Amino acid sequence: MISGYLDGLGMVLQFGTLLAIAGGTLLGIIMGALPGLTSAMAVALLLPVTFGMPPVMGIGMMLGALCGAGASGSIPAILLNIPGTPSSVATTFDGFPMAKKGEAGRALGLSIVASFLGGIASMVILSLLAPPIADFALRFGAAEYFSLSVFGLVIIASVAGKSLLKGLIAGLLGFFVSIIGTDPITGVDRFTFGELSLLTGVNLLPALIGLFAVSQVLKDAFEYDPHQRLKDSGHRIDVARPRFLETLKHWRALLVGILSGSIVGPVPGAGGSIASLVAYDQARRFSRHPEKFGTGHAPGIVSVESANNALLGGALIPTLALGIPGEAATAVLLGGLMIQGVTPGPMLFDDQSGIVHGIFLAYLVANIFMLLIMCLGIKLFIRVLMVPRKQLLSAILVLCFIGVYGVDGDVFNLYLMLGFGILGYFLNRYGFGTAPVILGLILGPIAESNLRRGLQAFEGDWTPFFTRPISLTFLVIAAGLLVLTLWQNYRANRVPVQASKEGANP
Amino acid sequence: MQRDIGKPMFDLLLVIASAAAFAVSTTLPNIEIIGDLSPAFFPKLISALVFVFAVPCLIKDVREWQAADTRNERTISSRGVVQWLLIVALTLGYILIFERLGYIVSTAIFTFSCVIGLLLASGTWHELTSARRVRSLAGAAIFAIVLAVVIFYVFTELFEIPLPA
Repeated sequence: MISGYLDGLGMVLQFGTLLAIAGGTLLGIIMGALPGLTSAMAVALLLPVTFGMPPVMGIGMMLGALCGAGASGSIPAILLNIPGTPSSVATTFDGFPMAKKGEAGRALGLSIVASFLGGIASMVILSLLAPPIADFALRFGAAEYFSLSVFGLVIIASVAGKSLLKGLIAGLLGFFVSIIGTDPITGVDRFTFGELSLLTGVNLLPALIGLFAVSQVLKDAFEYDPHQRLKDSGHRIDVARPRFLETLKHWRALLVGILSGSIVGPVPGAGGSIASLVAYDQARRFSRHPEKFGTGHAPGIVSVESANNALLGGALIPTLALGIPGEAATAVLLGGLMIQGVTPGPMLFDDQSGIVHGIFLAYLVANIFMLLIMCLGIKLFIRVLMVPRKQLLSAILVLCFIGVYGVDGDVFNLYLMLGFGILGYFLNRYGFGTAPVILGLILGPIAESNLRRGLQAFEGDWTPFFTRPISLTFLVIAAGLLVLTLWQNYRANRVPVQASKEGANP
Repeated sequence: MQRDIGKPMFDLLLVIASAAAFAVSTTLPNIEIIGDLSPAFFPKLISALVFVFAVPCLIKDVREWQAADTRNERTISSRGVVQWLLIVALTLGYILIFERLGYIVSTAIFTFSCVIGLLLASGTWHELTSARRVRSLAGAAIFAIVLAVVIFYVFTELFEIPLPA
């Protein structure tokens, strides 16, 4: 392990890598601070930039973006009462009231330090938990990988969409897209319709950028209203002074936030908004002064912000150890890892331990950069909020073009990107979600190749998939989760029906 | 509850698309390898599952649409639709001219069209005085040229990503 860390340290402590992590963090902070733009979009836009970089440099840059976006959503939440990201909704509960009292700098200082400490703690948890999980996964054969892929698809479909069926449909759409191209075993062309660019399958990058960046631009274009301009909050802050001692004074709220983020993070599809709301709720329960929450109370900010950044480390555990992302942003990161030629999963820990430990350390460095950049550049980020949307939308589209065209100079990929953007827009609009599509795209080929490989090895016998203990466990959990979610959906649909009946017959 | 016809329409589209995908899957050649599945197995399975899942979604969404109060019809803003279509059309146009005109010219045209197009589609243009219109045009032109040139040099020189000249 120590040699792994030494190798990793050698990769991270290079000028280019540090610069890349700082650049990624800066972009993430800007994207996170702009309401409507997400951390997944920040990573998607960075993918083309990281093509030519060594793995740890490229992945460090993407981690920096995730880390920065996780923390900077608090800026508009505190200053304008507008959450920059869904996970900073709960920051508005106490952040904005504190700013209204004239303590905007204090609120920002607390949120930055809580984010930093949450990130550092989750890095420690990640580095402790991911290797043993990966070690366990080394026992997996074709049957286990097939079952794990099914498990991953089911679990994210259960929680990512607004309904189980819609989540499953979205996952299956991604799976279907992944089978387009030449069948690797028989050489038969599937759904290529004579298009040469599709022979090798649908490229992951146009799908990622289309689903996460173009769809968001289309949503913003639909909702664009020049009369709804953000007004300057009037809070004059030049530098946000980090408040370490005050944050540590609220250690209980900090601990609750870190635990909430770390527990919710590995659950595929759960996302930051759940982690932060759980953290806020729990911090209030454990507080001696629950009545102060919502009035500009410091523990409210500390719990939410520490949960937001602790979430990322938690979400990285299944992403790196098993190849199953924890939420949308890590799904894009997983795509980025694969484009980098790094295949997440247990073999990564065995074959490329230096890269894995380099990723852990890059995440640590990203948190440090986040702290520094957020504290020093707070005035700039407040200015960024005032950038006109029409200019921003066109600039994002230009970056999307460069990213997709840069893969292999094929214009066909640009059409695919636009197609995925339109699909993603409607999937989001009608409650299907886009994260399951990416999961389907990534896990689909793993499921298909392992099922077919397994069947060849077992001479066409399906029973080992249901009798091998680990494989069976994944399938049973997946089936159990399906039944549980269906039951919850059924109950949720029954309650309004009953309520309306009772309302009709008082 | 809001009444939105788009939801059941999208479900219907999924039902039709999955049925069509299943039909195309049946035309794939059936190559037998001992113990292996046919290359059509997964396309058939997935399209069948999407069909099976999309039908109940369609029924539920149609029922909800019928049950919802007609006074609460989700009014789709025509301005929003125009802005959405404008961005899609401009992006499509950008793809068409990207290689033909080269990166810098096509990007400058696209960016300028986006900014001015959104000004026109959102109705802001008509609220501007002629002096402000000239300023907006000049601002958009400068923004388009600077953005195109800066990004070109950053990506081609710094990140060594080849772009059509």
